[in-house]
Amino acid sequence: CKLGQSVFLCCLYTFPSLSRLFYRYRDLAPQLVPLSYIDKPDVKLPYELIGSMAELKDNPFRQRIAEVFSEDGEGNMTLDDFLDMFSVLSEMAPRDLKAYYAFKIYDFNNDDYICKSDLEKTVNKLTRNELTLEEVCLVCDKVIDEADQDNDGRLSVEDFQHMIARAPDFLSTFHIRI
Amino acid sequence: PRARDAPSRRSGAGAMQPPTGPALASAPESAPGAAPGSSLLRWQWREVQAPCLVAGWILVASLAKIVFQLSKKVTSVVPESCLLILLGLGLGGIVLAIAKRAEYQLEPSMFFLFLLPPIVLDSGYFMPSRLFFDNLGAILTYAVIGTLWNSFATGAALWGVKQAGLMDEGVEAGLMDFLLFGSLISAVDPVAVLAIFEEVHINETLFIIVFGESLLNDAVTVVLYKVFNSFVEMGPVHVQATDYLKGVASFFVVSLGGAAVGLLFAFLLALITRFTKRVRIIEPLFVFLLAYMAYLAAEMVSLSSILAVTFCGICCKKYVEANISRKSRTTVKYTMKTLASSSETVIFMFLGISAVDTSKWAWDTALVLGTLLFILLFRAVGVILQTWVLNHFRLMPLDRIDQVVMSYGGLRGAVAFALVILLDGAKVRAKDYFVATTIVVVFFTVLVQGLTIKPLVKWLKVKRSDHHKPTLNEELHEHAFDHILAAVEDVVGHHGYRYWRDKWEQFDKRYLSQLLMRKSAYRLKDEIWDVYCKLNIRDAISFVDQTDRATSALWLCPACPSGERESGSGACLDLQVIDTVRSRRDKEDAVMHHVLCGSLYKPRRRYKASYSRHFISPSAQERQDKEIFQQNMKRRLETFKSTKHNVCSAKSKARLKKDGRKKVSSLGVAESEACTYRASPSSLLAAAVLVAVDSDDEESDSSETEKEDDEGIIFIARATDEILQGKKASGSLDVCPSPRIIPPSPTSAEKELPWKGDRGDLAVYISSETTKIVPVDMQTAWKQSISSLESVASPPGAEPGPHAKTLAGPAPEERHMMPEQRTCFQFPNPLLRSSRPQSASSPERTEQPELQPLMAPDEHGRMSTSAGPSNSRWLIQFNRHARFSDG
Repeated sequence: CKLGQSVFLCCLYTFPSLSRLFYRYRDLAPQLVPLSYIDKPDVKLPYELIGSMAELKDNPFRQRIAEVFSEDGEGNMTLDDFLDMFSVLSEMAPRDLKAYYAFKIYDFNNDDYICKSDLEKTVNKLTRNELTLEEVCLVCDKVIDEADQDNDGRLSVEDFQHMIARAPDFLSTFHIRI
Repeated sequence: PRARDAPSRRSGAGAMQPPTGPALASAPESAPGAAPGSSLLRWQWREVQAPCLVAGWILVASLAKIVFQLSKKVTSVVPESCLLILLGLGLGGIVLAIAKRAEYQLEPSMFFLFLLPPIVLDSGYFMPSRLFFDNLGAILTYAVIGTLWNSFATGAALWGVKQAGLMDEGVEAGLMDFLLFGSLISAVDPVAVLAIFEEVHINETLFIIVFGESLLNDAVTVVLYKVFNSFVEMGPVHVQATDYLKGVASFFVVSLGGAAVGLLFAFLLALITRFTKRVRIIEPLFVFLLAYMAYLAAEMVSLSSILAVTFCGICCKKYVEANISRKSRTTVKYTMKTLASSSETVIFMFLGISAVDTSKWAWDTALVLGTLLFILLFRAVGVILQTWVLNHFRLMPLDRIDQVVMSYGGLRGAVAFALVILLDGAKVRAKDYFVATTIVVVFFTVLVQGLTIKPLVKWLKVKRSDHHKPTLNEELHEHAFDHILAAVEDVVGHHGYRYWRDKWEQFDKRYLSQLLMRKSAYRLKDEIWDVYCKLNIRDAISFVDQTDRATSALWLCPACPSGERESGSGACLDLQVIDTVRSRRDKEDAVMHHVLCGSLYKPRRRYKASYSRHFISPSAQERQDKEIFQQNMKRRLETFKSTKHNVCSAKSKARLKKDGRKKVSSLGVAESEACTYRASPSSLLAAAVLVAVDSDDEESDSSETEKEDDEGIIFIARATDEILQGKKASGSLDVCPSPRIIPPSPTSAEKELPWKGDRGDLAVYISSETTKIVPVDMQTAWKQSISSLESVASPPGAEPGPHAKTLAGPAPEERHMMPEQRTCFQFPNPLLRSSRPQSASSPERTEQPELQPLMAPDEHGRMSTSAGPSNSRWLIQFNRHARFSDG
């Protein structure tokens, strides 16, 4: 499914941007990635390489992003994953797909629900653990309370999408411009 | 008269009058023959006539603006430009009635030489340049192709109507005349667009597209106007193929040349401001002079002057802002806004006045109706076609509604009017018809479309540039999304269209900035430490201001009856807040927002750009600087705390204390302070809470100016001599024993509603430790202000005043009340603590730590008092730039 998706999305790209992406991928680890992908080599970029990028040092979500977008769930990215990540955040990706991936990024324990512990993680990441436990709890309660439609104390994908739909220009910022 | 010798704009200007006609009949006429001999007083109206009339008109227009703004109801429905036009109509009518002939036209020369440049400069200088360049493709398309299409289609269609025999015989015009008319009537007018769209508040992208189009289409208009005008003058028969080619070529010359002139002058301006260190006072003048010179120079060689000024403004801003002083920056800002605003006012008023002059009118219904129909129709068609094409390339497609607004927002204005007046009546025989039609079109677009665009935008639910309060979810997720995006962009290393901007920025940094910016300004940019010092000074100053308020507020606090405090939101100094009874839910929301927006760590890419002629918003840069500063302060505070006091838990405890719980004395800081004061128990007895009913005689300090405004009963904590001395000994400013977090006192409305106040502004926190960061030259001033503050906190009276003695009875009672009251305080202000030693070391207080764990967390209490904690929470932000504070 994932592969099909990525192929589909990659088709949306013009060749130049695709090749640029490839070279970028290769530049990250020139010794690992071959120049030719014709024989479909099984190459993975280890997470350490991505996570150690200088630009990403500050980013609280770097590991989570790598995990969500990598096929093995551990942050080791193949070229497909790499392109995938770019496609999802591109302007052309449908809104629901973006919402889905955003949801996945939040869903730290991969149970298809954003529960309180997920939110706590998010808040802690966003605030760099500057809040006390109870404050985080309060915030999370409020957030769930705001968006929870079916009152089950956790946010499902539907809740999340509903919340996003309510804010008109919410996902409009969630893209990389080409 | 100002514009008498001014060169006329655009070739075919023959009929030019002095801007000020004969004196207004109602105005006092000059009496030349009154006194032939010497006299004490002489009436010299003729000499002052011109400037006097100019000033008078501007005054009338400005006064009218005041009157319009008196009624919110009217201005919320009717745009100001409409009101001004109507006023102009009325005034013109009066003049016509009195003088029996129309006076005071909107003269093209006056318009182009004096009224238009300030508006264009203002829009160029304050153009949200990032937004502008991001949408440059769309803007250029609409400006060039759209305008070409509009003018040709309108001209040809009108000619068709004429050929069909629908038009009056009097309209003697051929194809060229109609094309000429089409070229001047089809350009969207920047003045009108700005005036109307500013009040509509549509989203930024839409605004910048329409607005940018109106600015950039000037080149097309100029070229078309000139070309067709020369064709008409030559006579259609003599026009040869080379002339058409010349016309095409002249488009590039005019537009690129105009832009080049603008760039040249921007470069000069930046270069000049680099060397104005000694003549700070005339810095703003250079900005205006050179921009104006750019306009005149472009005009002189008949290039697009609007383009020249626009580009001059856009390009010079960065360097000029860096070079000139802060005061000059403010001056430039305000002067520009003032000039532009008054020009706009005068333009619209004179448009109204000019319309009264029926001598220039020649009405033809078919022409008028045809023109109106065609400009609306072709604009709509053009927009739809172009958008269809553009949407293939655009990332954020413009949807139907956007297109409707764009086509409906194609307002015509004073530029068209001035151009049509400039036509040579001898060559263009149908000039009178054209004038009448233009006036009708301008009035129709400004009045009818201007009036209806607001309801239309509302009805179509066009995305507005709203500043609604984001829900907690939005706030949280938006931040998260930004982080995610930033991360992915970094990983992918793909910044796409930003590539060229990056390249440009590199070039700018390496060469241009070095050449055009002052050494100091340039260095300041990459040495963040300098910024840091500067910010500290600024914040120190604002701290002094704020603490003045904070202290006075604190003293009022105990005066409130405790019952009211609990029901309300603490000390209600802000009268507005008293009547807004907020539900618990709202309050919780507010608190959560406070918690979040204080501590959310902002990612790097967040910008918001907007343009407003009449309001000046603080730039994003300032906000960011502030944030960095606050984060640094916070970090420094934390490290200071832990190293000096070794109170590892102080952080969390302090937070709890700020939360309004009764844990004040568990704070290590408080204890240490209490210890200091416990050493002199005798002084404690002497210390009393003084009820200063009339504070005049004791507070004769010069520093008490703020206090004297406070009327009524004021509770003042007064320390005795020994305490003061002890305090001075232990707590001189540089070796302050305790880090003091002194929260500012935002109005209670701000505390309740985080979106009410500027987020950045709220969080000015300064400890006395700040003195270390304040540069040496500022230290003395800083110390003075601090000491004056301290003297405010505890007036250095050697003994309790007479009032204190008379009130010795109630004093202990007061003291007993203290702990309970303190829990309700808005601001856990250490300044207060230090000035109230008796409360810090009172027996109740020392027992608090034991009591504290027994008390169940009182949720309601927390909520009702947590405006304070959330307040202090501003401080707790992640420190991104920590390394700078280390260095």
